[in-house]
Parts: sequence; C-alpha cells; structure tokens
Amino acid sequence: MDEGKRLSSSVDVKARHLAAERIRESFEKICKAILVGEEPKLIIPKRTLANTVYNSEKGILILGSATFERSFIDAKESRKFMQTMLMARIIYEALINNEYPTIRDLFYRGKHSIRYRDHKGRTGEENTWDEQKESDSVLRDIEVYVNLLREEMLILSKEKGKVVGDMRIRSGDDIIDLSKMGHGAYSIEPTPDLIEFIDVNAEFVLVVEKDAVFQQLHRAGFWRKYRALLITSAGQPDRATRRFVRRLNEELNLPVYILTDADPYGWYIYSVFKIGSITLSYESERLATPKAKFLGVSMTDIFGDKERGKKSYLSESERRNFIIKAKKTDIKRAQELLNYEWFKTEGWRKEINIFMEKQSKLEIEALTGKGLYFLTDTYIPMKIEAKDFIE
Amino acid sequence: MSTLEKFRAISPAEFFYRNKEIAGFANPARALYQSVRELLENALDATDAHGILPDIEVSIDRDANRPMVYRITVKDNGIGIPEKYIPEAFGRVLFSSKYVLRQTRGLFGLGAKMIVLYGQITVGEPAEIISATIGSKKIYSYRISIDVKENRPIILQRSVWLNTAGWHGTIVKISVEGDWSRAKQKILDYVKRTAIVTPYTNLVFRTPDGEIYAYPRAIDRLPPPPRETKPHPHGVDIEMLKAMISETKEQTLLDFIANEFQGVGRVIATRFLQSYGFNLEKNPKELSKEELEVLAKALKDFNEFRKPRAEYLSPIGADLIKIGLSSILKPEFVDAITMKPVVYEGHAVVVEVGIAYGGAIESLEEPQLLRFANKIPLLYDEKSDVSWKVISENIDWSYYDIVFPAPIAILTHICGTKIPYKGVGKESVAEVPVIERGIEEGVRYVARSLKLYLARKQREEEYMKRAITIIKYIPEVASALAVFLRSNPEPVNPRVIEDRLFELVKKRYGEHIKEISSPRDIILSIE
Repeated sequence: MDEGKRLSSSVDVKARHLAAERIRESFEKICKAILVGEEPKLIIPKRTLANTVYNSEKGILILGSATFERSFIDAKESRKFMQTMLMARIIYEALINNEYPTIRDLFYRGKHSIRYRDHKGRTGEENTWDEQKESDSVLRDIEVYVNLLREEMLILSKEKGKVVGDMRIRSGDDIIDLSKMGHGAYSIEPTPDLIEFIDVNAEFVLVVEKDAVFQQLHRAGFWRKYRALLITSAGQPDRATRRFVRRLNEELNLPVYILTDADPYGWYIYSVFKIGSITLSYESERLATPKAKFLGVSMTDIFGDKERGKKSYLSESERRNFIIKAKKTDIKRAQELLNYEWFKTEGWRKEINIFMEKQSKLEIEALTGKGLYFLTDTYIPMKIEAKDFIE
Repeated sequence: MSTLEKFRAISPAEFFYRNKEIAGFANPARALYQSVRELLENALDATDAHGILPDIEVSIDRDANRPMVYRITVKDNGIGIPEKYIPEAFGRVLFSSKYVLRQTRGLFGLGAKMIVLYGQITVGEPAEIISATIGSKKIYSYRISIDVKENRPIILQRSVWLNTAGWHGTIVKISVEGDWSRAKQKILDYVKRTAIVTPYTNLVFRTPDGEIYAYPRAIDRLPPPPRETKPHPHGVDIEMLKAMISETKEQTLLDFIANEFQGVGRVIATRFLQSYGFNLEKNPKELSKEELEVLAKALKDFNEFRKPRAEYLSPIGADLIKIGLSSILKPEFVDAITMKPVVYEGHAVVVEVGIAYGGAIESLEEPQLLRFANKIPLLYDEKSDVSWKVISENIDWSYYDIVFPAPIAILTHICGTKIPYKGVGKESVAEVPVIERGIEEGVRYVARSLKLYLARKQREEEYMKRAITIIKYIPEVASALAVFLRSNPEPVNPRVIEDRLFELVKKRYGEHIKEISSPRDIILSIE
C-alpha cells in the first residue's frame, strides 16, 4: 500500500482522500443513528424518467427534487439497503487502499452468499447480489447519495474516447502532447477531472461519432489544417469522453461541433453530449455540454432546404446511391425524440419531419464516398463557416 | 345395585327379530374384525358408561398348530358381571334393560354371544370368562359353550378365586377362525379410532405378530354416562307397543301412556287418548288387535307430545374430541363442536363434528373421514355415508382456503337411542335430512375455525418471513457500517451494531419472532 501511494500521482492521492472522507461522513451518520436506536434509512434522489427534468435555462437534463426513502427495517427495501452499505464499504476500502476498481471488480468483491434458516426452518441461501446489474444499480444510488461521480471515487471503466490536436495536458505526473500521438491518439482516461490542461492551440472541437472517420480525418491532417481538437466517442459516448468535452468547452471556451450519422441514433448521441442521458441525468451537471452544436450530417444536407434556399451537398444520383431506407425501429425512435422537450425546437422539428417524410437515413461514410477531401475540405469547413448547424 | 344391568332371557325368535340386521361374520377376516370390535365395545360399555376410567387390553394370539385360528383376549376394569349371570351372558341370548332405552355401543351381551357361537362352530373351543363385580370378594372363572338347540349355556368348568387385590372387571377369551393378514388394517384402524373418541382410556392392543399399539390415557375426565330413558311415543312401533303392554304393571290406558313414555304427562295423555276416542280407564292388556293398531298409529301421529329429550344421551363433547384428535393424530390444529340435539323418528340425536389439520396428518386428495355412531368407529361403506356426502358434495373446501392435497381429517359422531343406519351392516348412516343438516352445519363451523386459524398462521408466517428477510442482512450491514466509524474513543465492535439493528427489528416484529434471540440464530454462514 505504501508503495502504491508512492507510485500514484499526486492528483490521485488528493482525489482519493476527498472521496473517501465524503463517503465516510455520509455513512457514519447512518451508523451513529443506529447506535442511538434510530431506524437506519437513506434518503436518495429518485433516478426515474418521471424525476428527470429538462432545465431549459441550463439546457441540460437534471435530476428532479423527488427522493425516496430506503429503510433497512422495511422488508421490501432491506436487501437494497444491505447492498448499498456493502457497496459503500467496498468503494471506501478501495479508496483508502489505493486501489482502482472497475465496476466488475466491485461486483465480485461484494458477492458473497448468506446461508440462513427461513421462516419454515428450511435452509435458504442468498447472494448479496446475483448480477452486476444489481451492484451497478446501488453504485448509482451511492453516486447520488454522496454526490460524487464514480470517476471521483476512482472507479475505472474501459477507455473508449480518443483525442488528438495541438494541445498539452498533464495526466498523472506526465505531460502528454496530443499533437505527437503518431497515427494513434490519446485515450481519454476514465478520470478526466484529474487531467490538467497545460496549453492549447485550437479554435474548435470536432467530435465524430465514428472511430473510422476519426482516423481518416486524423491521417488527412484535418486538425492541423483547421486548428481543431479532434475527438471520437466511438459510438455512444462514455462518461469520460463527455466530461472531457465539457471541460474543453467550459474551461477553454472552445466551440464544440458534433458530427454523427444522419439517423435518430446519431441524433441521440448528440443529445447525450449536449444535455445528458435520461438514466444518468444526475451526472448532467458535470458531463453535459449544453453549447454543443449538431454539425451534421443533417437531413437538409441530403435533401436541401427550399425555405432557406439551401442546396443539397449530394447530386441526385449520389443521393440515390448513398441513402439507406429507414427501419421501423428508426421511425419509432424518431417519434419518441419528438416527445422530448429538448428536441422541440424549430431546427429539430424540421430535421425529424424530413426524416419521417423521406424515411431515409445516411451514414457519415457516405460523404467520404464522395471523396475524403470533400469531407475535410468542403463539407466541414463550409458548414462551420456558414453556421449551418442545429443547436 | 344401581350400576347393575338388568338381564332377561328372550326367545330365539325375538333374538332374530331384534337383531336381524346384525351380520358381520361373512368371512374369516370380517369375523375376526367383528369379534374384536364387539368385545372392545363391551369392555368400554362396562367402564365409561359406569363412570370408570377404562383400562383395556386387547390381544390376538395365533394358534400354534391350527392355521386361521386366533384367540382373542379382552380385559377390562369395568363393573364386572354378577356371577349368576355369567353363564347367561355368554351362553344364552340376553340383553339389558328391555323396555328402557339407553345409548349403548352395541347391544350388550348379544355381540359376545355371537362370537361364542361363531367360535364354537368354527373352532369348537369353549369361551373362557373371568369376572368380578365391584366389591366382590371373589373372582369367578367359567368355561362355557352353548346348547344351540335349547339356547342354553353349557358350563364346562367353573372356578372361584379369592379377590385379594380388589380387582373388578371382565376378561373374555374366545378362539375363532379368522384371517389376520386381511383383517389387520381394519382392526388397527378400529382400535386407533376408538382411542380417538375415548381419550380417557388406557388402551393397549397386541397383534398376533407381537406388535404393541399403546394409546395411553390423555385425560382423566369422562363424558357423563348415558342414562336410561323411556321410549318417546313417536319412536314406538306396534311390536314394541305389544311388548310394553305385556310388561307394564299399569292398570289403565291413562296410567300406561302417562307413565311409560317420555314427553307425556297426565294432561297430554288425557287429551291424546280422548282425541282418538280411547277409554282412559281401559286396561291396556285388554286392547283388541284393531285397537292396538289404532293406538300405535296415533302415538306416531299425535304432535302435542313434548320433544324427545337429549340429556339422556352421552355425546363425547367438543373438549374430549379435541383431546382425542390431538393425542392420536398429532395435528397442528384441532377444533370440534357438539351441535344442538335434533329429533329423528321420536329419538333425540346429537351430532358432533371435529377437525384436525396439519402436523403428522398425511396430505391426501380428499379429507380423511373418521365416522362414529354412538362412539363406535364406522369403517366400511364410507362412500355411502351421509357424512361422506356432506364433506365431498355439500362443502366447497376452496371456500375455506383448503386446496387438496391437504392434511385434513374430519370426525363426525352421531349419537342417539336410534341411529338411521343404511343397510344391515350398520356401517353407514342414511341421508336423513335433519342429521345431514346437523353434520353440514357442524363441518362448516369447524372449517370456518380452521380457515381463521390458517389465515392467522399465514399472517404470522408472513411477518416472520419479513422479519427474517431483514435479520439475515444484519451481519453484512453491521460489518459494513463499522468500517465508517472513527475509532473514537474506542473502536466499535460490529456485534454492537448488530445488536442494535436486531433491537430495531424486534421493535417492529417483536411478537412474531419470539423464537429468535439474535441474528446468529438464523444466520448459518456468510461466505
């Protein structure tokens, strides 16, 4: 442990100490209540769709004010209560022991079996939890209860997001130059709050949904030519990528443009970056980037927009070749999006209506089909220049 | 002596008249069953009906040399038989208390006589009877057979011993042809069921295989014995009327009607006789055949007599039924009820119903039915009995939250001076509406009681289950929380937190978890 402490970075040590103390204080209260004969209970904000509120002022999804009570002396809640205490203990012990558990580790560490005699005298056996779904669920409860994100409690998850650009950062005790990553890229670490921005030479951030497109833009020197920080979320963004993007926007005042497929799935990825996700709305305050802009690919890029006199980026024959017929699930998803408060803007209504009318979608790769340099030197710069994006 | 039975000889013709329904010796298995049954019933009638707590031993011995020959020995501590009646009681057709009615198990003396006869025909050995009455200085022993033609006992041997220990009771040993292997189950059932309704009896049964079935006395209290009562006019037929008239000492019809029947006083007797045009002063022995027929019919038709009275009967009583069911069946729940008396053809009838549930009772697809009539178990012809009809057709068990298979036994007891048996075997009771209604109401009462019990039990279990749901997590929660406590000033032992949490559970579920004194009582391990 001492060696662990010595070898870990100073920011880690500090974060650890803060998180451990916060957890300890929150749960010591419960223990003290028990010792004076009070019923132990947790009051936790509800993580349900009904308690997810779109804050139009901040432009993000936040947790509502509804809470629920989890009392140990309530037979319906006692198992969850036990799981919550167990999870809190494992996280706390990992923190003070200088460990970096993953959520899978937490699951295994807490899983044991209780053998007991039931009300009919038979022997019963029960696991503290059976599936990771259960341990993940109480982890979320602890995040909202102690008001710490898992990253802040040094719980690691798989790295997914990548970044390149003319920028230097400090990660741990090392300085990394994001412009010197060769053909590779810097994997955004699961604890982006521990990253320190040293200096940056960029005018905007471009986030692309697709890893393959990211690699093409990187090798074509897009970020150097247009002074961009280039990021990919490789599909649905993880928390670290979202937090990193948010910090770039908030701390460095860099505009953020998001490029996804032209389909409801791509739109939702954009909205997760911009306003947060429904299941994890409690994190939005820290993870969402309300000022992020949807650069494309938009329906009007494909079909044009007569009202604005906008022409399509595709010729008649290209469009015929590139577009894909929408599936039933795409249509259904689009209809759901129409119900969300944050998609009820003029830009989005137009976007979704065209989609519903044409029942067609398009992948970003289709644009590279027109030539990679069409994407890097025509499409993206023109869209940014013309402010042809949806907010 | 008031406890002495009155014995009288009757003619063979009358013997058959009164007992034509008695069969039961159809084959060796049935004969063995019937013999044990008659002797055991006599033993009980000689004890509990006279206020004596019965000690009864029944044993059956296999004859070493002759196949299918068994010697039955029944020993009781009853009132005994006066010496001069012993040959008569076993060697001549006798019965007790001719024109007075009393609830008895069998017809006293008759069963024993049948067995002596049956043994004599099939095996050819005399019966051995040893008996002493209460306070008798001597014990008498007789070996008797029957002169069938003359209906007369033949005394083969008589001995007398001094009764130094003050013993009283009767021992009967009779050898009969039987079939133990086929009769075994019925006899065992019979003895066990007898034990259920006579929990005040010490009953020991030894089989030919040397097995001992002991049913120790569960309570020292007897039900009030049945008392004699006069016949009710509605329950008398012309033969009985003739016999009563030939016996009576009354000189006038008015005295005869007013004094020889129950439910009749002088006022009602006068009104009765006048309304049917009889001369009050006429000597009953002088009635013509036609007048007798009119009188017999009038006695049945006249509806101003008082109702037959039930206080002469001897129901088992709800308490004893519950004790009997508990001690023999070892159930988790019992209840019983004695219903209000009803009237059947001029006889008072009392219906009793008991219920036993769970515990050692086997789960079956239908209720186990234990039928009794005048404290005698009825084992045969179950499906044609009114009690079976009630529990299988009239009652919808699902209404009482019983889902079969279920561990449930229903006891029905019908007692009265006349039981409406179906058929000659006297093994099932007919579907007489008043009796059927009585049984049904009784079953509904005890079934309701069971339903309440089960609901209460389920509620208790639900609470217990909930409490255990919580308690089983206590060690886990306590050891987790102990980690967060600053050891200030001293570290807190997780056991202290466990105790506090358990106290909180007790505060909420206390009355339902009395058996649990600590979480460790139910936690076996945590791995």
